[in-house]
Amino acid sequence: MIKKLVGLGLASIAAMLFASTASAQGVTKDEILIGGFGPITGPAAYIGLGGRDGLTMAIKEINAAGGVNGRKFRLIFEDDGHSPTRALGAVKKLIDQDKVFMIFCAAGSNATVGTIDYIKAQQRVMYVSFASAPAVTFPFSSYLFRGATTEVPRYGELYSEFIAEGLKAKKVAVMNGREEYPKNEGNALATALKDVYKVDVAARAEFNIGDKDFTPQLLAVKNSGAEVVAFFGNPAEAAIAMRQARELGLKQKFFVGATMVDKSFTLAAKENAEGATGFSLIPFLPGTPNPTLQAWEAKWKKEYPNLPVGRPNVFDVMAYTDMYVLAEAIKRAGPDLNTKSLIAGLEQIKNFSSSPLAAPITFTNKHHIGNLTLTVMEVKGGNWQPVGWKPSRPSEILKRYE
Amino acid sequence: MTITIALQLLIAGLSVGSIYALVALALVIPFKASSILNFAQGELVTVGAYAALVLTALALPYWVVLPVTILIGFVVGLFIERAMIRRIMAAPEFTLVIATFAIGLIIKSAIRLYWQDNLFTIDNPLPFGSFRVAGVVLNPQYLWVIFCTTMLVVCLAWFFKFNPLGKAMRAVSQSQEAARLMGVSVERVLMISWGISSAIGALGGILLAPIIGINPEVGHLVLKALVAAVIGGFTSLPGAVVGGLLLGLIETYSGAFFGSTAKNILPFVVLVVFLLVRPYGLFGRAPLVRI
Repeated sequence: MIKKLVGLGLASIAAMLFASTASAQGVTKDEILIGGFGPITGPAAYIGLGGRDGLTMAIKEINAAGGVNGRKFRLIFEDDGHSPTRALGAVKKLIDQDKVFMIFCAAGSNATVGTIDYIKAQQRVMYVSFASAPAVTFPFSSYLFRGATTEVPRYGELYSEFIAEGLKAKKVAVMNGREEYPKNEGNALATALKDVYKVDVAARAEFNIGDKDFTPQLLAVKNSGAEVVAFFGNPAEAAIAMRQARELGLKQKFFVGATMVDKSFTLAAKENAEGATGFSLIPFLPGTPNPTLQAWEAKWKKEYPNLPVGRPNVFDVMAYTDMYVLAEAIKRAGPDLNTKSLIAGLEQIKNFSSSPLAAPITFTNKHHIGNLTLTVMEVKGGNWQPVGWKPSRPSEILKRYE
Repeated sequence: MTITIALQLLIAGLSVGSIYALVALALVIPFKASSILNFAQGELVTVGAYAALVLTALALPYWVVLPVTILIGFVVGLFIERAMIRRIMAAPEFTLVIATFAIGLIIKSAIRLYWQDNLFTIDNPLPFGSFRVAGVVLNPQYLWVIFCTTMLVVCLAWFFKFNPLGKAMRAVSQSQEAARLMGVSVERVLMISWGISSAIGALGGILLAPIIGINPEVGHLVLKALVAAVIGGFTSLPGAVVGGLLLGLIETYSGAFFGSTAKNILPFVVLVVFLLVRPYGLFGRAPLVRI
């Protein structure tokens, strides 16, 4: 009998140990292995390069300060080339081959959507820093968290309110790229404008990544009589389109998607960017004369002395601050770190800002949309500057999670 | 569609087409001389754009940057031919094409090592902005590209018709063996043809930089240039120009009438249909075989 009980006890301990080890892939007593991916080549490299470097710098700082609960972070970062298939390949490699504990997604929406089903099937946590694709947080999944960026319907709410109430536009033209992020944001805006504010979407024009000429789309916009042109794409396309718009005599104000509210856009579009408006995901953009930001930029430049004009960009800041959110959650998860305790740790994050550079992040066990606070900016004198406009309409997107 | 819009689209189509024409010209020259299709041509455009970026950063005026960039392109072309192409000339054509593809990847990766994929631009070199003629907006930067392409075609036509080196290139393109027997240094001719082609690519790079920006993917438009060259007949210089302009017009008008999806599909549909009707392109001729 005693032998049986001892045997049963040993079996239970072994099972518990096995379970703990199985769920704590990538975690040792002194290290947490994180897999990161994002586009460091291709048309959206401005996203992934910033993501990778911001993330790396935060990890270096956290490790230098002793790590979290006695463990230091190690990052393996893969390039997804802004492609969903390459992103899936990268995530499979990170989880199956490199045996990482969790994934930090520094990719755009286009690539991110390719990985979601696999992440859910593998039951690994993926912390998404930039992608606004709806599928990340809706329908709800315990394993997917959205950090610095927000969900597409929230963009739709804010964009439409600002254009209808802030810019007082009655007719709007929407130009968007055909890939995931610009298409989603263009659709969300058009729907909210029509349904909520009864604003006429006078023209919808699409384009492809890498297009060099926007004359047909701009002529359609011009003939529509729209008072505001909402543009969703990459800075390279926006720079050409806005130059051509001015050449073709379009006097309308341009509103751009949150991805372009960054130096990469103002540097590429130059004087044609003047007067453009858009929402920033962080309170201060690189280049703003804010002491905290300037101190951070000085630190960044010391870390990356040879990088070109335009960096650090908004993605450096978002990945950097999101890594601190993640570190805080891991700290709250306690010494027994596994997927379950990490989810519990993340869901304890409430109105958390790692520094004044970051928007406050909140996760609950009902929704994993971290950031619902965005700031309106306008290009003045070649730089993005806060406008001071605040939304007054309460957000309704959390209702669907109740 | 009003007349003004139709004319505006015409100008836009010709402007984009002139870019394709320029790169197509650079593809055709080494092909005429050596029958090698240079898949690194797009990256040679990229080299020109980055050379212009570096020289502009040194605060050199555009009129100095322009010839120095072309010279850099010429030297890069000579180097590629001397260091690699000449050594594998005896290999099958397919191997040579893949080798040029590899050269392109090496160039692109080397650029990424320093500049990564960040987007850069250089200022409009012309001292005036866009202007209107009869309600149609003209961008001087595009006019500058069209002017340079036209001058280039004129210069190349003169070069191939009257210059001894140009004549030697034509001879080499007809028969390397016969040219050699006539005292032509085939190796020298091939090396210079690569230099010229690369210099044209670099010219394309500096002309495009203020219009479409600079990043390692600038050379991606070589695919469109290939289509232009095939439509033109691939061995014909005027054919490359006409093919480029035609492609630009098809893209622009199909985009205006049928949307952005058609803009990407229709040029290739036209290419396939065109080749079914004229397999040797607009200005190409079927090789004559004496029986």
